[in-house]
Amino acid sequence: MAGLTSLPTRLRRLKRSCAQRAPALIGIGLFCLAWQLIGSYRLAGLTWPPLSVVIGYLVDPDHHRLLTRAASTTLRAVALGYLIGAGIGLFLALAVRLFRPARAGIDTFVALIHVTPAIALAPVFMILMHRDAIPVAICALAVTYLIYVAATSGLDGAKRHHIDLFAVMGARPWQRFWLLERPTALPAIASGLKLAIPVAFMGTIVGEWFGAARGLGLLMVSGMQNFQIPMLWAAVLLTTLTSLVLYALMGLVERAVERRFA
Amino acid sequence: MNRLVPFLSRYWAVLLLVVVWHAWVTLGDLNSIVLPAPLPVLADVVTHPALYLTNAAQTMATALAGVAIGVLLGAFVAILAWASRLLAGLLTPLGLIFSSVPIVALIPILARVLGYDISTVVAIVAVSAFFPTFVFTGAGLRDLPRATDDLFKVLGATPWGRLRHLVLPATVPNVMISLRLTVPEGVLAAILAEFLMGRSGLGFMFREAASRFAMERALGTSLVVTLAAVLFFTLAHRAERAVKARWS
Repeated sequence: MAGLTSLPTRLRRLKRSCAQRAPALIGIGLFCLAWQLIGSYRLAGLTWPPLSVVIGYLVDPDHHRLLTRAASTTLRAVALGYLIGAGIGLFLALAVRLFRPARAGIDTFVALIHVTPAIALAPVFMILMHRDAIPVAICALAVTYLIYVAATSGLDGAKRHHIDLFAVMGARPWQRFWLLERPTALPAIASGLKLAIPVAFMGTIVGEWFGAARGLGLLMVSGMQNFQIPMLWAAVLLTTLTSLVLYALMGLVERAVERRFA
Repeated sequence: MNRLVPFLSRYWAVLLLVVVWHAWVTLGDLNSIVLPAPLPVLADVVTHPALYLTNAAQTMATALAGVAIGVLLGAFVAILAWASRLLAGLLTPLGLIFSSVPIVALIPILARVLGYDISTVVAIVAVSAFFPTFVFTGAGLRDLPRATDDLFKVLGATPWGRLRHLVLPATVPNVMISLRLTVPEGVLAAILAEFLMGRSGLGFMFREAASRFAMERALGTSLVVTLAAVLFFTLAHRAERAVKARWS
């Protein structure tokens, strides 16, 4: 089909998409410029380095070993915690779907875990597990909440008249689940999985602050305490950029699922 | 009995957790340095009311101030972005980016740039509340039916009149939802900031207790933190419902 659209139409489309993206790019550009200028004129003191210094720190080969080691530790914890959390969240959502009387109790429990600041659970984890596992545990817990809420609300999302139709046609419960509730829930679960990305990073970083041996969170804290300013900013920039890229990728997955099922 | 069943059906999982905890300590015959039972933890809170209360009051006051500042600023900037397409174009992408990064990662930077101070904790909480509020309230304003705005213009409403009678009423319910959404993260940000900077508040109590393995104190602090967070969240939820009933 793309070959059939005339050149002027395509040019117009290109122009429109540029016009839509331009303010965003200008906004981000101004942000980077402000970061650079505040840093180079020391408007916020010595602890605010120019953007170029932070990028210089990230690309300097001398720091590659330190950064890759920290980043791979953190990423492994994020991945593990994310998978465990998503698994538990989905499992709980399916369990309360199968056994409805348990729903209210699990809802309260999960909401309580969400409202409890992650750090309040840290002493419990310190007792239960090795300190290197704490980031994974806090990450998993935070992800569990989001996925549970997304999956339960997604499973509840089937329209009344569809449910009635299935009942009238004499569908078995598992048929209703597989053919109606599963497809309705998938878009909600996909957007839950997207929103869980920054949450997973947050949980892991907080867990690392609680005494992990290595990781980006540890670099942040030691950079903060020892005035290693470029390292502090580089660790934060690396964390946020990685989280953003993964978030954007999950956004693509979310859109694909939505196109297929919604 | 009539009240017990709904109570149990809502809280059975929480109660089960406490029972398992208690059983585990008693049956496992654990040392209180490893894991104290629920009762001694509660006893530590009850027998040191002043210590817990002053620190909790400080943490909650800083968290409340920070969330209030962040939410109000976020709503204010969202209204500015509603009024100016240029600002909307420049700020919305930045807002989206910042509301989808793990904002707690900024705590060490803010602590270093602003200094180890209680006002820094307020600023950190405000930053964590600002971006989600800006994005959420802004989306609410963009969803205003075009026709209402046109009607206001046709009837000759001044920009101020449109702001007063159209935009503000539409903003208030969204602000209340933002408040509920940002309160848990605000409390977390406040406690993390206190934990990292280590001056005062529940976050500091926590760090101090954990470092000398005073598990009763550490878990007591967890309990108080959780209670305070639940209280905050419930209040925000109530306020949201009250405002919703009044404004729509």
